[in-house]
Amino acid sequence: MVELDSLFSPKSVALIGATASEEKLGGIVLKNLLGLKGMVYPVNPNYPELMGRKAYPSIRDLPQTVDLSIIMRPAAEVPDILRQHAGKARFALIVSAGFAEVGASELQKKIKRIGRETGIRLIGPNCLGVYNPRHGLDTMFLPHSLLKKPGKGNVAIVSQSGALVVCLLEAVRQANMGVSKVINYGNAVDLDAADVYEYLAGDKETRVVISYLESVGNGRRFVEAARKLDNAKPLLVLKAGKGASGQKAAFSHTGRLAGSYEVFRSILRQFRIREAIDYESLLDAAKALSFQRPAPGKRVCIITNGGGSGVLATDECARAGLEVAPLPEPVAEHLKSSFPSFYAISNPLDLTGQVRADDYRVALDAAREAYDGFIVIALTAVTGVTLAVGEMVHDFSMATGKPVVAHIAQGGISRKLTKLLEKSKIPVYSSPERAVRALGMLLCD
Amino acid sequence: MTIRDKIEEFLRSRADQNVFLEHEVKDLLRGFGMTVPKGMFVPCGKRIKSAAGLSFPLVAKVVSSRITSKSDIGGVRLGIGNEDELRRAVSELSRMEHAEGVLVEEMARPGFEVIVGGIIDNTFGPIVMFGSGGLFVELFRDVSFALAPVDREQAMWLMNETKGEKILKGLRGKPPLDTNALADVIVNVSEVIASGRILTIDLNPIALYQSGALVLDAKMSRI
Repeated sequence: MVELDSLFSPKSVALIGATASEEKLGGIVLKNLLGLKGMVYPVNPNYPELMGRKAYPSIRDLPQTVDLSIIMRPAAEVPDILRQHAGKARFALIVSAGFAEVGASELQKKIKRIGRETGIRLIGPNCLGVYNPRHGLDTMFLPHSLLKKPGKGNVAIVSQSGALVVCLLEAVRQANMGVSKVINYGNAVDLDAADVYEYLAGDKETRVVISYLESVGNGRRFVEAARKLDNAKPLLVLKAGKGASGQKAAFSHTGRLAGSYEVFRSILRQFRIREAIDYESLLDAAKALSFQRPAPGKRVCIITNGGGSGVLATDECARAGLEVAPLPEPVAEHLKSSFPSFYAISNPLDLTGQVRADDYRVALDAAREAYDGFIVIALTAVTGVTLAVGEMVHDFSMATGKPVVAHIAQGGISRKLTKLLEKSKIPVYSSPERAVRALGMLLCD
Repeated sequence: MTIRDKIEEFLRSRADQNVFLEHEVKDLLRGFGMTVPKGMFVPCGKRIKSAAGLSFPLVAKVVSSRITSKSDIGGVRLGIGNEDELRRAVSELSRMEHAEGVLVEEMARPGFEVIVGGIIDNTFGPIVMFGSGGLFVELFRDVSFALAPVDREQAMWLMNETKGEKILKGLRGKPPLDTNALADVIVNVSEVIASGRILTIDLNPIALYQSGALVLDAKMSRI
């Protein structure tokens, strides 16, 4: 078990390669670090001070051993800089690119060796590092003016790719979610996904972990850490590199059939770890699991005010292995007596274009005991759908604790209604199929 | 003796070989309690006079560590009905390039063909594979994988992960097949690959019946 508190919530941080210019990477990171709940030590031999902080010529001149040192100097300088870190830092985050990813494997091996010799845990190289809004920690060289990051929440992001961690940060914010811990670990010379999974399993601020992976290093260790994490909270994995063949033993039948992705996918399934098939479903599932708690069962009730949308949702339920079970007789009888005769009293329950807002409440209350999960479809181009629908769904969710997702479309108040619902932790999706797939992530065997 | 002990002994007695011959692998499998066709190995240069107690029809297959797809080069003779045909087949096959001998076996009844294999995966180490399809396995790729070794429960899971699972359970009025025997094969193969001494093992095809699983062809190589 790796203790990563000093990495995600460091009490002291050194920045090797800090500069005064906010145009330069060393200046952007320094500025981003000014919000840290802890000490920040800029290191640059050419300045007495930077952005109002005393600057130091080298890591050796710091008055204390820091929890985290961020190295932003050219790759060729990194081995020497790292050696100077001996006894002065617990974690060294190497932002610099120019290692194994461009073929400089020897240089990468060298820093790995220095890390071992000095006992310093290494993150990177070739990475953006960590973001922890609760602690004011942001090591990513992206100006806040260009990338508005999500605030604090319960989603952890673990990404091998820097580009993807930025996309995910932006998307998570737009989807009204917040983050607990975010890390991009790049070339993974030392710290890798398995280390972070072990840590996040015990992290109280994290409820769901989304992870973008290209390779996993030691597969057995990865599986063990992923399994332990997933026992504690949902882990969602998006694996890239699906076409790679990958086996040396291509002369055997098994070797030719065992594409690296096929093997990876099977093994995730063997240990019941959720896989997102693409970027969109990763985010959709993350939102569902961030807002709601998974629950057992397969029986789904679809409440809609548009017949076609309900049919699409039903089709997707079949594909997702969810059961759109008929309304039990007493529920159907009760609804028949409550609703106009032209409503379609079945599952999906079609409240039609002449719906009145309160019908959603009546329908949800009638069906609450008979189903495990609920899909609310509200098409807003009719006068009957008002913001009150949002409150009803919220109340229902609070009262039952059962998974509820929504599909909202057709303009008008749809944006306002979406915002209201997501504030109430009801995940909203722009298509019926996406809503169903998200519900599928919440309902487990 | 455990499977691991048997593998050690097998490897010790063939210290100069990296790739093992079909009849050697089948003998090993028989030692694990698996079912293989009744047969005899005829080394090159040795002539046979009779079927030596095997029941016709027979099948004769060229045996070589250097031939990977013997059917593709005419190295398999099926439906041998009498001793004249047998002598001719053995003599022709033993003259093929790279031939080290001929394996003569009783021909198996047709069954549902499945593959069970193991390799050392670059990322995950020893893994076991199950798939259905025999000849078409590489076309349909209806296969699933698991970290080896697996227990019987995981072996059943491995079968259920494929589309062929419906056939195993009895499709369209056909009787269910012997998934218990198949589970034993999967568990054994998973233990072979998990021994850390074997690089690849391919049992392809295995004929699966209402009762029993018969390993028709087997390949194995050392790490």
